[in-house]
Amino acid sequence: MKLLSTPARRSAAVLAGVLLMSSLTACGGGTQAASTVNKDALTIAVDSDSASFGFDPLRVADAQRQFFEGLYENLMTLQPDGSVAPGLAKEFSYSADNTLLTLTLKEGVTFTDGSTMDAALVKANLDRRSDPALSAYSAITKGAAQEMTSVTAVTPMKVAIKFAKPQPGFEKNLTGTMGMIVGKTATAKSASLAATPDGSGPYTLDATGTVKGNKYVFTKNEKYSDAAKYPYKKITFTVIQDPQARANALVSGQADVAALTSPTVDFAKSKGLGVSQIGGTLHTMVSFDKIGKTSPAFAKEKVRQAFQYAINRQALVDALHKGDIAAWNALPKDSAGYTEELNTRFAYDPAKATSLLAEAGYANGFEFTIVGSAETQTDLQAVQKDLSAVGIKMNIKMASSTDEAFAAVATTPLGYAALGWDNPVGLMYGVVLNGFTNVQKATDEQLSAATGEAAAAKDDAAKKTALTKLNTRLVESGWMIPLYESLTNQGYNTKKVQQVKFAGTNAYPLLSSYAPTN
Amino acid sequence: MAMFIAKRLLMAFATVLVVAVLAFLLVHAMPGSPGAVSLGAGAAQEAIDEVNQRLGWNDPLAVQFFRWLGDAVQGNLGTSLIDGRSVSADLASRLPVTASLAAGASVLSAVLGIGLGVTAAVRGGLADRIVGGVVGLLVALPAFWIGIIFVYLFAVQSSVFPATGYVPFEVSPQDWALSLALPVITLAAGGAAFIARQTRASMLEALQQEHIRTLRATATPTWKILYVHALRYASLPIVAGIALQFIGLFGGSVIAEQLFAMPGLGQAVQSSVNTHDAPAVQGVVVIATVVVVAVNLVLELATKFLDPKLRAS
Repeated sequence: MKLLSTPARRSAAVLAGVLLMSSLTACGGGTQAASTVNKDALTIAVDSDSASFGFDPLRVADAQRQFFEGLYENLMTLQPDGSVAPGLAKEFSYSADNTLLTLTLKEGVTFTDGSTMDAALVKANLDRRSDPALSAYSAITKGAAQEMTSVTAVTPMKVAIKFAKPQPGFEKNLTGTMGMIVGKTATAKSASLAATPDGSGPYTLDATGTVKGNKYVFTKNEKYSDAAKYPYKKITFTVIQDPQARANALVSGQADVAALTSPTVDFAKSKGLGVSQIGGTLHTMVSFDKIGKTSPAFAKEKVRQAFQYAINRQALVDALHKGDIAAWNALPKDSAGYTEELNTRFAYDPAKATSLLAEAGYANGFEFTIVGSAETQTDLQAVQKDLSAVGIKMNIKMASSTDEAFAAVATTPLGYAALGWDNPVGLMYGVVLNGFTNVQKATDEQLSAATGEAAAAKDDAAKKTALTKLNTRLVESGWMIPLYESLTNQGYNTKKVQQVKFAGTNAYPLLSSYAPTN
Repeated sequence: MAMFIAKRLLMAFATVLVVAVLAFLLVHAMPGSPGAVSLGAGAAQEAIDEVNQRLGWNDPLAVQFFRWLGDAVQGNLGTSLIDGRSVSADLASRLPVTASLAAGASVLSAVLGIGLGVTAAVRGGLADRIVGGVVGLLVALPAFWIGIIFVYLFAVQSSVFPATGYVPFEVSPQDWALSLALPVITLAAGGAAFIARQTRASMLEALQQEHIRTLRATATPTWKILYVHALRYASLPIVAGIALQFIGLFGGSVIAEQLFAMPGLGQAVQSSVNTHDAPAVQGVVVIATVVVVAVNLVLELATKFLDPKLRAS
């Protein structure tokens, strides 16, 4: 039966044509997108929605600094070399005992709502610290390690901040989201920031081009005093969660810069893209419970140390995180406190782990539960196997909600986190010693002392000594059980964007550091 | 016919109402209150209580539901707990993306599927075996894998289509079409295979019918026999298949939206669930239900139109 037909043949011809075209284009090989270069606009592909909780910079952590840098100004600014320079505060000084920080403010700063900056506004910003939703302020709330007991407008352009304890070097904190200042409208009614930013930064949000959770369009704020520092008229942050899709967007020209994961770096390079890399993020298990409240075994330092010997980090990296670095240090490789000594001292040794468990009275091992997530599941399964080999049974319970994941700090003995150590003192005070990873209020004199030394260090040598002590103690105490250090990779279109540079050890380049090629 | 439509509309309304009640109850069964969600994990209980009070969370469930329903029928699906924006406005901006994907993929899978199915049924032999092989392959391959391959060929190795992103039609019809091309093809592949199988079976049955033989004997043009008479006879299960495809694609577009970074309903529901944004989750569920119910209604009407026996009844 030959019922068909010229249309079918035509369809076949069209299909064949499409396939031929695809094979021809495929044969052409790939290079980075050479589409029309618009050097006034920059598109940055990011892995998560920085504004998922709105545009209040105080509701996010420093990982979102780059995004919020476009909308807000900081009291102090981070420089390309990682140092601290004046920002909204043009000068600062400490009292002799380092408990009083006085900031002299810049004049003529205007916010999106039309309000101008003065000492009263900065005070109103910092007085929001009692709001528990403001995670950027968690370290300065009442009872926290860097508690601000009072903020006073000394003169119209001078603010005095009183601390509960000496805080030398606190100005570094003001380069992060903690130091960002919102306008008067937002200070009076912070709910407005859920949908509308109110900053004085180099860009303003273009609401018409923005699609929540998908892309955020920034257009140049010509009122910004240092506008020349930001070469692009328009910056678009596009959210692409899938790592391969992000790399594809960069290769095919939908993005000019993209946060790449280590497995996609070689692919990007093979397509002629530039890739800048920096370490600094430690993926580490964190002992939440050091007093044995949720699992008695964790009260013993020898038990926590046994974990250090029981886990085969290199195998974990080889199998699951190719391109990243196995870690025995709690601090990153680029940190002043990094020491090779820990790599050998705590090298994989299951026999040693077993003997430590026996010495601690757990010769037959013990059992506990850890709360995991989709991101951590495979890592935890790898660790689970290693622990099982020395007699520790780790049950993995997947968090059914964000609330459950957060609550795990109080209900389970061990957790897993990715920590950036750009500001070790801030992290120790804000997260480790008094922060959310220590709700059981455990103490360790050596850790407190080393953190204090690092905070008070006057020169690089003193800082190195203090941070090395801190790093060593974090590992030998088992407060931190490091697994691997991931590299932060920024892929960029070399035809359009100059080599991406990181600000010191900060894993997120300054927005001002992106610049078009000549 | 008017009575039929009225009955079906009543059924559709009842279905949406039942789903709305279920969605409402499920949202209330979720851990955490709106106050805890909007203020964050470390919020003080007094602050949480205050927000809950303001949102009427402590009112009886029936009062809350009817308040929500009253607003919903006026097009107000509430406000997001996270950013305070209108859920209706957010979903309205995302609906065209998902609708474009689902409609585009449905049309493409229908065209390809019917073409392949008719070819296999009519030509038989080698053509049938080749189509069978292709269909089997398309059914077996996961949509995301097909998407990855297409992106590699047409966006990475060449720049024929963009790898990610969505351009609204009003901004540029051409870029809109280009931005939809790869996700639509990705979604359509499996659907085309399903429809091809359906079409092949129905066409084989249709071609055996008495009236088709009569038409052949009267020298009616082949194309007319196939595409007017036989295909119409075979069309009922095919139309049902296409409608089911659309419904499946509407709900399943989350894969394509993720892979191609498109701001559709799938992406919205994912982020709403992650952030426990109950009004947003509830809004998406209701909108999706309305779409499914509407498509089913259209399917029933189309079936009635296509089948003379049903029409007569």
